[in-house]
Amino acid sequence: MNADVRMGRSAARHLRFALAAVGALTVCGQSVAFAGNATEHSRIAALAQFDLAAGQPRLALARTEGAQGAQSESVAWQRARALMETGQVARARDLLERQLQGQTHRGDAALVLGRIANTEGNTAGASRYFDTAARLGFGETRQQALYELAALKLEADDPDAAGQLLATMEPGYWAALGYMNLAGVYSTRDLNAARPLVALRVALAMSEQDAIGDRSASLRSQLLVRAGYLSYLQEDHEKAIGFFEQVPLDSYHTPRALYLHGLALAARDNHRAAMQSWHRARKYPLAYPGVEDAWLGMGRGYDLSGYLGQAGEAYLAANASYESERVTLKKLADRINDEGAWKALIVDARGDDAQWFLADSRTLTQPRMAYLLQFMEGTAAQEAVSRVSELVDLELYLAEKHQHLNVWKTSLRERLATAPGSAGTSRAGLADRAETLRAQIQTLAQRQGDRSVRDELSNTAETLSAVETALTSLERRLAKRDARLAALVRRADAALTNVQSLRSQVAKLQERAESSLDRVALAFVKDQDKRMAFALDKTEQQIAHLYEYLALETLERGGR
Amino acid sequence: MVATEQARGATGRVSRAGQNLLAAAVALLVVLTPTLTVADDLNADINRLKAEVADLAGELYALEESILHPADTQVAVFLTLARKDALELDSIELFVNDTPVSSHLYSDRERQSLQQGGVQQLYLGNVPHGEHELRAVLTARTGNDRYVRREAEHRFQKRPGESRIQLSLDARAPDYEPRILFSEWK
Repeated sequence: MNADVRMGRSAARHLRFALAAVGALTVCGQSVAFAGNATEHSRIAALAQFDLAAGQPRLALARTEGAQGAQSESVAWQRARALMETGQVARARDLLERQLQGQTHRGDAALVLGRIANTEGNTAGASRYFDTAARLGFGETRQQALYELAALKLEADDPDAAGQLLATMEPGYWAALGYMNLAGVYSTRDLNAARPLVALRVALAMSEQDAIGDRSASLRSQLLVRAGYLSYLQEDHEKAIGFFEQVPLDSYHTPRALYLHGLALAARDNHRAAMQSWHRARKYPLAYPGVEDAWLGMGRGYDLSGYLGQAGEAYLAANASYESERVTLKKLADRINDEGAWKALIVDARGDDAQWFLADSRTLTQPRMAYLLQFMEGTAAQEAVSRVSELVDLELYLAEKHQHLNVWKTSLRERLATAPGSAGTSRAGLADRAETLRAQIQTLAQRQGDRSVRDELSNTAETLSAVETALTSLERRLAKRDARLAALVRRADAALTNVQSLRSQVAKLQERAESSLDRVALAFVKDQDKRMAFALDKTEQQIAHLYEYLALETLERGGR
Repeated sequence: MVATEQARGATGRVSRAGQNLLAAAVALLVVLTPTLTVADDLNADINRLKAEVADLAGELYALEESILHPADTQVAVFLTLARKDALELDSIELFVNDTPVSSHLYSDRERQSLQQGGVQQLYLGNVPHGEHELRAVLTARTGNDRYVRREAEHRFQKRPGESRIQLSLDARAPDYEPRILFSEWK
């Protein structure tokens, strides 16, 4: 009995392999299409949702292409998102407007429409959409809509109305951001820092509820620096020091916090501790705000502590450091002129080329990264970099597709050149083999076997009939083969021409986008150089004052 | 009289200052307007190009399906999470008949998408009719903060027409042991 079962399994396995071989010879091509029912639509929507999360909006668009329309709100919503991500705002707007009449994504659609209107300068329209999003949206969507509404109120110089809106928000990132903006407006309007400080304290409390670690930590550092600075301006140095000491050392805002921390300590005549903070700030690249002042602060600290010799040395060291930075900036400007800002500032910052600044890591202490971070704070820089980045991404995509199309075309041509005769003649042999296999299955089925063997035989018989069906239609499909392959070659040729034309358009636009980025980057480098020149001027003045004082002292001593 | 002249003088100064300000504003506008227009034109051109590339992507997708994945032998494998907080996926590897066909490392956004009901297409390929073996190897962090690596196998019968297999991950309290469930989409 066991031997029978073993034999049966072994024979069935052989049959499966034989069928797999036969099956592989009889494949036929058909296009894939999702059936038009609700389950399929929800699957398409779920697939497109993941594609978008994986950064493949073009794939999401292709997936949702055949399923657009009013059949599925979710599919239309994912398609609208993909259209937005591929820059097709006008097409996305139609779908989004339709979403407003639906049930599931009304809030999300209104939020996106509000942002479109805001970008186009239509503040009234944006306000209406954000209001709808706040009313119909849930969770993060509602919070973002309320934040946007508050931002519009702040732009309209109505901080009280903004405050009322912010008061209705749930604690979290968006509420914290809103209160930070409110504090900014209050600090430009008010003579004392009471209201901005209260707003910043609320923002700090709100940011604690944000579950996303990185953005929460970054926002918190920024809030602490702002709160500390306002406290310092209020001459509440103890409080200011408290805020600065909470800023983590690995934050982008650390150099500025260290400088201000030193300033607050110096205001309390604790020059030694102040100089310790400035000394730590000096370790960071001069690109960060506060670092050049920290260099200057060191000299001032020695001066106020009565160490005039060291003060002079510190000022001279600051001077040398600024001079050196100006050389670095000049080199950077030269590189931007030679290679373009995209390569000099962006691409090389992520590479391993350590020679330029003799940098050995990619941390905050790397000057190139520091300048990149500083540069990317500006809106114009963000837009200019984003334009080039998009075009580089498009070129990579098109180059990949160009290569694929060439490979497919070659392969299709080779298949066209191969006569289908050999497949046709082997058809009779295959049919005979299939017949023999069927007989073997029937023989095995007559033997006694356990359930698993019977199942395996049943599966094998099923596969065999699929193969036989494919064999029956082989002649018909072979007759159509050449026409089908030729049609595919024509489609590949047309697509290839299209890809080539698009690549040349991308190249032209990339040139324009890169020269626009170069202009923004050179202006940034020029500003940085001015900042260094100004700092240099300040140290020279300090040195002049110091020498003047020393000369007068010497004269006085001589007179005595 | 003197007061009137002073007032007139002041008005004149204000008006001159106003004129200077206006001239400066106009000059600034003249300087800025071409820059803004150029940037807007560039943005519009890029958006137009992106739309054309997206259209092409649709055509290429259809062409790729026709050339590479004939429906009769096509097999697609999809991944879903059975429950939102089941697992924090780190990576997955997929083998068809012991041949590695797909592997993926998850980003935060992708994990979030899966938790919100997103479906990932792990693999799209071709196999002949008959029986085949699918093996998935996953690494993930479970709900009770354990880092686990699990394997699961599934035998399937490739029939004529496209085959779509769903791989669904689940892990339930209290042990949060990952379970990998296979099912075929009809």
